[in-house]
Amino acid sequence: MNMIRRVYNMLSIAVVMLAMATVVASCGGGGLEKAVKKAFIDGDTTQASYEKICALIKENPKSYAEFVTESGDINVEALGKYINEVGSSLRPPMKWNITGYGLKELTLTVYFERSGSMTPYDTPGGGGQLKKAVNDLINFFPSKDGVKINIVNDNIYPYSGTVDSFLQDRNIYESTKGTGNASYTDFKLIFEKIIQAQKPGNVSVLVTDLIYSPQNTADVSIEKILNEENSVATSIFKTYKGKSIIVNQMMGDYNGQYYPYNGQPFAYNGKRPFYLIIVADASTIDRMSADDKYAKFLHPSAVKNSYRFNQAQSELNVKVVPDWKDNVGRFRVARDEQNKLIDCEGDRETGILCFTIAANLKPLNKDDAFLSNVANYTVQSQSGFGITIRAISPDDITNNNRTYLDGMTHLITAKGKFNTSHDELSITLANQFPNWIKESSSTSDTDSSVAGFATTTFGLERFLQGIYDAFSAGNDTYGKIVIKLEN
Amino acid sequence: MRDKVIFLVIGAVLSVLFWIFRVELYEAVYNVNGFSDQMYNTGAYGSVAAITIAMAWGLAAIYYYVINSVKFDRWYHWLAMLGIASVLTPVVCYIVIDNFLEGFDYSTSEFTFAFYNILFTAVTFVIASFSIRWWSSNCRHTPIPQ
Repeated sequence: MNMIRRVYNMLSIAVVMLAMATVVASCGGGGLEKAVKKAFIDGDTTQASYEKICALIKENPKSYAEFVTESGDINVEALGKYINEVGSSLRPPMKWNITGYGLKELTLTVYFERSGSMTPYDTPGGGGQLKKAVNDLINFFPSKDGVKINIVNDNIYPYSGTVDSFLQDRNIYESTKGTGNASYTDFKLIFEKIIQAQKPGNVSVLVTDLIYSPQNTADVSIEKILNEENSVATSIFKTYKGKSIIVNQMMGDYNGQYYPYNGQPFAYNGKRPFYLIIVADASTIDRMSADDKYAKFLHPSAVKNSYRFNQAQSELNVKVVPDWKDNVGRFRVARDEQNKLIDCEGDRETGILCFTIAANLKPLNKDDAFLSNVANYTVQSQSGFGITIRAISPDDITNNNRTYLDGMTHLITAKGKFNTSHDELSITLANQFPNWIKESSSTSDTDSSVAGFATTTFGLERFLQGIYDAFSAGNDTYGKIVIKLEN
Repeated sequence: MRDKVIFLVIGAVLSVLFWIFRVELYEAVYNVNGFSDQMYNTGAYGSVAAITIAMAWGLAAIYYYVINSVKFDRWYHWLAMLGIASVLTPVVCYIVIDNFLEGFDYSTSEFTFAFYNILFTAVTFVIASFSIRWWSSNCRHTPIPQ
């Protein structure tokens, strides 16, 4: 009897232990969750990792039915939502934008200006920088099949050759001679036609000297022309608030006749600026900015200056790097609130608190010189924190910090005397009409011997100011980072 | 008999609560920037807590039902078993954590964390002992007589 009782008691204990083990085991994550977490933790939020996750779903579509469409494709939207739910459960909360992976390839339409003042940019004796820039644009666009080329001056005319013949053409202006009327360029007509012809997923690029040269300007004052140019620009773009425009300024050899606004044409041999104007839906440019495939297309190596019009304030992905060589004093990253530091305490001897934030500034689509220039940032805090900023280099990435630096581009180090119980550090990158446009603009182009002729464009500022005014409402900030501090 | 079952149920509930609140409990004792994030992200806290519970209950069960001898029914025999559990469990946990955090360089923090886990192992072993001792034929009076 005792034996039976003992066996019964031991079985009872075994049942209790089994129940405990079941509770413990039931809380584990599935294979998909593990794969997503691994990508985040390993700092490997790349397309290759995404493909592995997709393969896992496709191996077992019944188990992951919510991520598979009726046609058997991956439901990118549902998967993206799930991935970011998993990411938000991690420390620090992490994001992974996969929307670009499953989308159709973009298409490119090149509008190559063929006015009288453009042909000297591509003479047999010149350096051919303009043609090289356009060729690079086409070559670095990921989908060559979706490329179309048009010639523009008084109107838009399809290029009669193929993309390959365009790329190989050593004298493009000679082979397109007789296309349209090269004596003037109607920007209003051209921009409106470009925008109206643009379908979703299309990127248009106008290759131009951006010199406003309408018909019948004889005896019209410079001021009147510049005001007209400014109004034309605003009137074109104010009705297309969903578009974004990137103006890339480049320099090229110019060998030939120059046609000033008001004066006799004269021969000029030297450097002159020209422009690649990228026009697309703002969402399309955001997508390209976040996708490395388009990096060389958006940032050609020969670009001297660049500015994107109609850039909405981006939600910046930032993470405080908890264990960093520059850290001074003590702090702890709050678990319940992102971008909040608790238990903050300055160094015992100096009172200085120093911490580093990793930020992904790639969506801003700015070059590193701009992003790493601390003068472009406005820093506000009660304690008078100052910042330094620099791009992340491969040497910065270690086993222990790769989770924090994955997908990030810059390190912002904040330093100051933390002498209050609460503080809020606000770092703002202002979106201002850039100085380079003012510096690259002239109001007279009748004399090539004037200083700055080689680096300025007649009426550039007024035209681009017109575009800026069309889009400027509410777009005065590229991005803002706020870090809360508590002692 | 009913009182003994209540002890068993309380012990089981406490152990499950330990597993549920493992992150809060472990981080209340040892919380380090970076290391604690990765312990949380990789799910290592869950495995460490599960191992701690399983080993404490398992070693207590071995003492009361496998050893279960009058030769080993003194309080210091039980204390020796607690000592074995408190050394063995952190060693196993250290190996498991090191596996979870493969690719990271947190060996000092891993060792310190495993050291702190001695506390949780000892407490869980005591809870397990007082949950299951009552049905042991020779050691039910250990460590404290009924």
